[in-house]
Amino acid sequence: MIFSSTLFLFLYFPVVLAVYCLLPRKQRNLWLFIVNLVFYGWGEPVYILLMLFSITVNFFAGLLIGNYRIAAQKRAKMILISDIAVNLAMLGFFKYYDLFASTLSLLPGLDIPTLGLTLPIGISFYTFQTMSYPIDVYRGDSEPQRSFISFGTFVALFPQLIAGPIVRYKDVASQLNFRAGSVEQFASGVRRFMVGLAKKVLIANNIGMLWDIYSAKSPETLTVLGAWMGIVAFTLQIYFDFSGYSDMAIGLGRMLGFEFLENFNYPYISRSVTEFWRRWHISLGTWFRDYVYIPLGGNRRGLPRQFLNILIVWALTGFWHGANWTFLCWGLYYAVFLMLEKAFLLKPLEKAPVVATIYTLVVAICGWVMFDLDSMAAAFGYYRAMFGGGAGLLNQTDLFYLKNYALLFLLAAAASTPLGKAVYDRLSPALRAALTPVLIAAGLVLSTAYLVDATYNPFLYFRF
Amino acid sequence: MYKGKHIKTAKKNRAALAQILVFLIFLGTLLVLHLALPDKTLSGRESLQTLPRFSFSALFSGRFTTQAEAYVNDQFPFRDAWITLKARSELLTGKDENNGIYLCSGETLIEPYTAPAEASISGNVSAFNTLAENAGIPVFFALIPTAAEIWSDLLPEGAPNDSQLATIEQAYSAFSGKTADICSALASHRDEPIYYRTDHHWTTLGAYYGYTALAEAMGFSPEDLSSYRQNVVTEEFYGTTWSSSGFSWVAPDSISAYVEQGEAVITTFPQGAPVEGTLYDQSSLETVDKYAYFYGGNTPLLTIRTGNAGPKLLILRDSYMDCLSPFLFPHFSEIHILDLRYYKSSLRSYLEQQNFDQLLVCYSVKNFAEDTNLFLAAN
Repeated sequence: MIFSSTLFLFLYFPVVLAVYCLLPRKQRNLWLFIVNLVFYGWGEPVYILLMLFSITVNFFAGLLIGNYRIAAQKRAKMILISDIAVNLAMLGFFKYYDLFASTLSLLPGLDIPTLGLTLPIGISFYTFQTMSYPIDVYRGDSEPQRSFISFGTFVALFPQLIAGPIVRYKDVASQLNFRAGSVEQFASGVRRFMVGLAKKVLIANNIGMLWDIYSAKSPETLTVLGAWMGIVAFTLQIYFDFSGYSDMAIGLGRMLGFEFLENFNYPYISRSVTEFWRRWHISLGTWFRDYVYIPLGGNRRGLPRQFLNILIVWALTGFWHGANWTFLCWGLYYAVFLMLEKAFLLKPLEKAPVVATIYTLVVAICGWVMFDLDSMAAAFGYYRAMFGGGAGLLNQTDLFYLKNYALLFLLAAAASTPLGKAVYDRLSPALRAALTPVLIAAGLVLSTAYLVDATYNPFLYFRF
Repeated sequence: MYKGKHIKTAKKNRAALAQILVFLIFLGTLLVLHLALPDKTLSGRESLQTLPRFSFSALFSGRFTTQAEAYVNDQFPFRDAWITLKARSELLTGKDENNGIYLCSGETLIEPYTAPAEASISGNVSAFNTLAENAGIPVFFALIPTAAEIWSDLLPEGAPNDSQLATIEQAYSAFSGKTADICSALASHRDEPIYYRTDHHWTTLGAYYGYTALAEAMGFSPEDLSSYRQNVVTEEFYGTTWSSSGFSWVAPDSISAYVEQGEAVITTFPQGAPVEGTLYDQSSLETVDKYAYFYGGNTPLLTIRTGNAGPKLLILRDSYMDCLSPFLFPHFSEIHILDLRYYKSSLRSYLEQQNFDQLLVCYSVKNFAEDTNLFLAAN
């Protein structure tokens, strides 16, 4: 199930919320546990078993690690390592098996059959979440969770289950046992959810149609203007779609009394690639920093070792996004810019903020080409068209699409800066109080119209 | 001081409550209306998903969940109003279209054409060539361009719209038998209402010009347009481009009939067994699918004994033929009209049984390009 659907918005969520609010606090986690499984199993009911398996294994691993952590540290470490191995094996099997099988089959004499399994939805998100738990317990950052239901609620919590943010156990541990909830928290959840819904339904879905048109063309027929319009459209689509999901997740979480950490912070205004990754998919970056980069030594063991760590972390980050070598290239592509910036580029960038912003945007835009196209060959064909190797500068069709999408481009560009929030925050409290319900109503009415007549409402994270 | 703070918190709480109420009332009202309003089965021309039945096999095959999602969407309260709102908002943001349908001058709704891969054209034509070889009788081939070709200048400048003439030329050059030039016949009458403004079909007038082109190719002399009496049967026709576009404020079309049924005896075979048919189905005019006025809509096979002298003709066709075929009555003794989308028996054995004198394959370019059943012509 996805949030931006009439089924979720007008049936599942109202029912879940109504029962949740009516139940006494003690039974709320159980209710969430049940409806999480319904939400998760909606597309592929069999994978509920996988989810339950994952919850069970990590729950008991956490308990054992908690038990042995002080008295028998070696044993605790063994359990931690085997638990991580189980998690990674699960992720590796369901997500990467076919890629490795088909790649190895390219070798002469080897023919490994592929399985063609459907990727369990959100597996990359929830495996990372569950892995954070035994690590946090082992490090003493969290107490082990003694209630199976509470732990299951954490793993399968539907707001962030399928598209993040990746919630670390230690960040919600206390909320799992007690959530106060308040009128203001609920209202802020409503506001946040509406921002996310509008981002996804009104901007991402609509501008995404343009990328669909241009990415389907063969590169010889692409003009420079067309190729750039197409990939800029995707640049905006992926941001508004992904951050829109995170906003909806954070909003839904608040309505249920949870506080999740932020996941996006206006990445497209960054003045360096380093800054971009502090503002883009923050929960993933934080996860890799805390659980991979720093344990590898981070930046404390000299520049060569730091570069190696960057390479490892960004190779993994890229590969996390999907079982395709293009994602690995995309991760390494960023590693190169990050190393260049660490080596010498950051200083000059600081002196020329406009140039720095443009440079960061161009790096991000070009990166999305290999991120979204299916092969490096397709990506290079597209790059060629972007830099003049296609069908000339522009044509009639490009101008037609430019006219049709100009307003949406402008709106989306403005909305990817903090401008709107700055204006909203400067309003007088009285005006804001009057305006907000109107904005919520308008957002609901328009989003509903676009959802009911949804000819294009993709879920972009099916490969994650 | 303390009191002031208290008032401020109260105000803040009131503002928060207002936001929550707007949100919950909106969701709640639509949920209740959804449950309370009766389900519909048809809207415009599309059929709507009704409440799916739960079973474990449906759940595990994914059928149940897909249908449930479609159900909530299709039966959404005031669905048509929401779709209209979206169409209006799309136009406001500078777009010329909604759901792939362009709102052109004169309130004409046009769906542009996308040419198929060359292989699919040559595949369909080679099936027709095999058919012509098997049949051993003269076979005629006619492709009907849609409004996007004849009225292409109504589309916004630069809107993506492939040439249907190119598809026609490619198909005709691969075909072994005779072909009819419907495109030119329509183009020379382009200022007349030869297509519906709100539907993807041609009008009966357009079909008349198609008939003159067929006459030229098949070697008979067509009746004059002035010899018919135009009978406007409805002025309230809203077609498919209207219902899928959401441009619901556009004025309706009218449907005309020119030929009277006269002596013609019509039999349809909706399920294999013969049923008495009618050329004009009055009851369809009371439904949303008013184009079904011609013969009562899609059917696998229709046979017509015209009561006139002449050869026996088999037509393979799509729905564009519905309003054209009556013009053919004076020139043939018997006409069988077969739709490969629904006719699932062997065409070859039907040809052997029936002893046809001539065979006509007549499709709109769009259906010819997209229909995946045409290979059945070779069976």
